[in-house]
Amino acid sequence: MKFNGTDQYAALIHELKNDLGLLSLTLDGIPQQREREHDATVDAARLLCQSVVDRLQQSLLIYKAVDQPIRPAIDAWSPQDAVHEMRDRAAALARGRIRVEAVLALDVPEIWFFDRDLVEMALINAIHNSLAHARSTLSIEASMTEGCLALTVRDDSAGYPQHILAGGAANAAFQATGTGLGLQFSRLIAQSHDNQGRRGELRLHNDQGAVFCLLLP
Amino acid sequence: MWTDSGVNPASARTGDTFIDYSALRALVVEDYPGMRNALRLSLTNLGITRVQLAANAAEALFQVKQKPYDFILCDFNLGDGRDGQQLLEELRHSHLISLETVFMMVTAESYYEKVVATAELAPDDYMIKPFSPEVLRRRLESILLRKRAFSDVYRHFHAHELSAAVASCDTLIQDKPKYVVDALRFKGELLVTLGRPEEAEALYQQVIAMRAIPWARLGLARALHLQAKDEAAEAVLRDVMEQAPEMVAAYDLLSDVCLARQDTKAAQEALEQGVAISARTVRRQQKLGEIAHTNGDLDTARSAFANVLEKGLHSVFVTPSDFGNLCRVQLEQGDVQGAAATLKKNKTTLQASPEGQLVMAVTQGMVQIRNGNLKDAAKAVEEAMALRAGGTCGDAGLLLDMAGACMASGRHDEADGIVAEVARNAHDSEALLARARKLYDDAGRSEAGAAVLAVATADVRKLNNEGVVLAHRGDFRTAVDKLLRACAEAPHNPRIMMNAVWVMLKFIDQAGMDEQMIEIARRHLDEAERQAPGHARIAGLRLHLKNVESKFGIQRKAPA
Repeated sequence: MKFNGTDQYAALIHELKNDLGLLSLTLDGIPQQREREHDATVDAARLLCQSVVDRLQQSLLIYKAVDQPIRPAIDAWSPQDAVHEMRDRAAALARGRIRVEAVLALDVPEIWFFDRDLVEMALINAIHNSLAHARSTLSIEASMTEGCLALTVRDDSAGYPQHILAGGAANAAFQATGTGLGLQFSRLIAQSHDNQGRRGELRLHNDQGAVFCLLLP
Repeated sequence: MWTDSGVNPASARTGDTFIDYSALRALVVEDYPGMRNALRLSLTNLGITRVQLAANAAEALFQVKQKPYDFILCDFNLGDGRDGQQLLEELRHSHLISLETVFMMVTAESYYEKVVATAELAPDDYMIKPFSPEVLRRRLESILLRKRAFSDVYRHFHAHELSAAVASCDTLIQDKPKYVVDALRFKGELLVTLGRPEEAEALYQQVIAMRAIPWARLGLARALHLQAKDEAAEAVLRDVMEQAPEMVAAYDLLSDVCLARQDTKAAQEALEQGVAISARTVRRQQKLGEIAHTNGDLDTARSAFANVLEKGLHSVFVTPSDFGNLCRVQLEQGDVQGAAATLKKNKTTLQASPEGQLVMAVTQGMVQIRNGNLKDAAKAVEEAMALRAGGTCGDAGLLLDMAGACMASGRHDEADGIVAEVARNAHDSEALLARARKLYDDAGRSEAGAAVLAVATADVRKLNNEGVVLAHRGDFRTAVDKLLRACAEAPHNPRIMMNAVWVMLKFIDQAGMDEQMIEIARRHLDEAERQAPGHARIAGLRLHLKNVESKFGIQRKAPA
């Protein structure tokens, strides 16, 4: 039997992702014991497990994006639903360790056109980063900026290091570290959203913490 | 701006967003026991206590037939047997679940969206594995609230009050900005079904003005095609294919557009492109097989028909005719052993229904004839005749095969009777009549065949022509009588059906509303469309029907 390299890799990653999904469900089943050391260890394991699952999800997408550009499947979705869903996911990952808020600007329309799966993948990636670095608060926001829907993950961490902000401004490739790769991936997702020539953007800046903002035209 | 720090379980909410999870009846379909229990636990944590489990599609079908469910959570991969998509198709196609039932697909495939785009029916939503319970809760809640908003639309739809359903969509479009796109999408489909393609065209243009999403452009192309604006339809479709190549339905529609301008070669090409993207869909393969067969491209026809049986192993869309189609091509290619092998391999499936038994008997007869075993052939033909006498039906192709087998066994009168029936129902289908003529030519009975076909088509043609002449003279009443008699003679003849519908509508135009007649007209039009889907005249007749309905205020039935 001969292995077809890349497809085997993809199948293997799939399998790993599913096994990790089960592992993650199993970890969820471990009850809290009100014992700081124990609970903190389990929480760390859960967070790490989820983060690996999400990373694997990304790697599958990147694998598929090697031969062809990311082609978003655009449909009408509710920004409000998306923000609430992400808030719930973040809150479950934070387990009370960090406060998670959802913030919706009043001018956000009831529906917007985007690829829900891709956008949520980018947001969950930012949420993992923030959960790892935030001091006490994380907020997931929807607002309107320059006629685009802005989906923002904001934390009270020490902010992005200078080289990442610089890389972002220059639109250069990040270092292939965990954070850098995730951000690069989010940028690809943002840019794959296009509306009559207006392309989506990823904007990073520091404002009492790290601010990760997807602009969707 | 408002801030919400969460921890607000849905069950604690009040007002129109309250969902009583304890009242929901849920079914989890998942082949892997560990995952099945984990999913059940997730649902229980939401407050859904009435949860049933199924390990595969067969179990799920059994459960759904026992009692209704509000929510079905189903894994896409279900091991051997049907997959989740096939289960969904069967549930919807056989009306085992209503539009109110939430069907969510669970899949390990991040690109399931693409699978959905290639499918004939989409679930309400899908979840990519692994997912967190929070996502499941949010998505389920969102769908339940949407279905609640659509309850009037669904109620009218289930009661076949389509105009009223359109009116309910309009209410949603006006009052519920969150559901505006969903309501437009549903309304577009209703307008097409109602034969109001100009309105559908305007609606899809409205959606495209918001964003040129593929389904809206596809809808636009369909609305254009239904108005015989086929050039414009094709331009839209070519554009969709370039921008969203995974949207296979575009290739299906393009093949219809090509058929409308009688370009069967281009129709075949379009379907071949579609099959190259997604070979899974049974109906696409069936259509490709038929068109390739018409084009005389036996290799393509054979591989398409073989794919129908292979990919559609568990599909509700596979019928006994599909086995007959494959065997016919195999025999035409001179591959008698191949046809015999197809029968042998599918014996159990075919013997399960009278229609299957008829296919089996007819094909068996043809195989034996080719093998020179006339005694066995006669036995098979005898069996086929007995099934027919018992009322078992077959499609026109199978009936002609049967006539051929009868002739080869010397049963000429019976063969003539069968050919006559096919001819009555397809008096203007050149392809079928040509096949019938060839049967007689091959049997050295060309003259007899010409006579059978002439007589069979003459009756129908005469009634039809008399009806049409009477109609042109303005005597619609008598024309209706003639054409309904012609319909009785040839109950599966779309051309006659359409003529009958036309004179009935003209009669009502002239003489005033006749509730009973308009109901007959509706039914005949549906039947004609079933027999000849996408026929160029259907859209015009739908429009005529609509005009008659609105002229006589049928729409008054719809609530204001």
